[in-house]
Amino acid sequence: MTGREFILKAPFTVEEVTMLEIGDTVALSGEIYVARDATHRRMLEDWRKGKELPTPLLGSVIYYAGPTPTPPQQIVGSVGPTTSRRMDRYMAFLLEQGVRATIGKGERSAEVKELCAKKKAVYFIACGGAGAYLASFVMKKEICAYEDLGAQALLRLWVRDFPLVVAYDTRGGDLFEQGRSAFRQVTFDEP
Amino acid sequence: MRIIRVEEIIQGVDRALLELNVRGSQGLPEKMFSALEREESALGREMLTEMIENYAVAEERKIPLCQDTGMVMAEIELGCDVYIEGGNIKEALDEAIRRAYGRGYFRKSMISDPFFGRNTQDNTPGLYFFDVVEGERLRIDLLVKGGGCDNVSTLEILEPGSTVEEVERFILRTLDRKAPLACPPIIVGIGIGGSALYALFLAHKALSRPLGSEHPDPRYRELEKRWLEKINNLGIGPQGVGGRVTCLEVRVATYPCHIASFPVALACSCHVFRQKTLWW
Repeated sequence: MTGREFILKAPFTVEEVTMLEIGDTVALSGEIYVARDATHRRMLEDWRKGKELPTPLLGSVIYYAGPTPTPPQQIVGSVGPTTSRRMDRYMAFLLEQGVRATIGKGERSAEVKELCAKKKAVYFIACGGAGAYLASFVMKKEICAYEDLGAQALLRLWVRDFPLVVAYDTRGGDLFEQGRSAFRQVTFDEP
Repeated sequence: MRIIRVEEIIQGVDRALLELNVRGSQGLPEKMFSALEREESALGREMLTEMIENYAVAEERKIPLCQDTGMVMAEIELGCDVYIEGGNIKEALDEAIRRAYGRGYFRKSMISDPFFGRNTQDNTPGLYFFDVVEGERLRIDLLVKGGGCDNVSTLEILEPGSTVEEVERFILRTLDRKAPLACPPIIVGIGIGGSALYALFLAHKALSRPLGSEHPDPRYRELEKRWLEKINNLGIGPQGVGGRVTCLEVRVATYPCHIASFPVALACSCHVFRQKTLWW
């Protein structure tokens, strides 16, 4: 952990993401997009057919999540991150569209780590399984596109001080590797 | 002969599912507070603190702890002298899921067929395992499991006569790769013996023990303690950010096995542990 704390607003500029390092914590405000498996599949299909994306993604932040249904009188249900690895295959496409950051949980492929460095994007993690807590930072929610996908529609959220940690930065850093080696006390034969 | 009305079962399971998804298992917050005391990593402590905050927000808003409200697994032990009146128990359990997941605004995550299915829209069917025992009681062990932690389940067939060290190597090697994806700190179930099929069942049976429960056999109690320590020495930490607390509990379940075989299975629950035992 760097001990550095940032207060940032989405969408991002290249300069904003390149100053971030793994282990930095970020309180994120502004507009972010929620998408998971089927949402990505649809965006890519549309793009390949030559259709325009439902919203410009330049500088945008994509949050991998599939919230629970919203109870009456609430803004959003439980909305924690889902496993990012499943969306790895769409990363090159998203970065081509100008996406500057993704939010999820867990390690990702070596390819994504390299893409983050090459295309100047960061990968944040939010606390997995803390969906109710994370919902308390969401100020507003609307369906942006693909309403027919139900729980996997593309959503736009307005968040305030949404708590994040930088897991991959624009220099090839990897928080999981670094964190683990700092606390590892066991050795065993690798296969 | 004892008569249990099917509606009693539906209501009991419905209530339990609502409670489990919003509060988790009994004793979970206490477990997390003690993890926070042990954690030395600053980011690990931050993650554990958010998990603890999560209990309060879920309770206040009456929303689930995690957006993945999972699939419902139940082990049912039915006494020979029990008569279920007014319907069948499998349908009763599905009905309880339907009610709880609708009423609780939980996410419906079940698809009717892996290739050709659609979302069933009510999170049914559950996954049920039946056992018949003596007596007049009915016991239902509920386990709610999200997709992320279920995906790390692993089976390996070791050589007959394998040692504790060899099983340990399998556990550590598997978790070193997969634990970061299972939302640590995790609860680990290890099934040893039976057959390939049965070992995975045993691993889940072990997960279905209440928090803080002890293995009846002191030799396995010792092993559970030893493996817990070794897993925590991997350094993976809460959410994989590095730290001392990767695992909250290890449970082992065993069964006799064939002389030519030594199946070992591993199953995990994420830190949002949702287990409850119901009795009638």
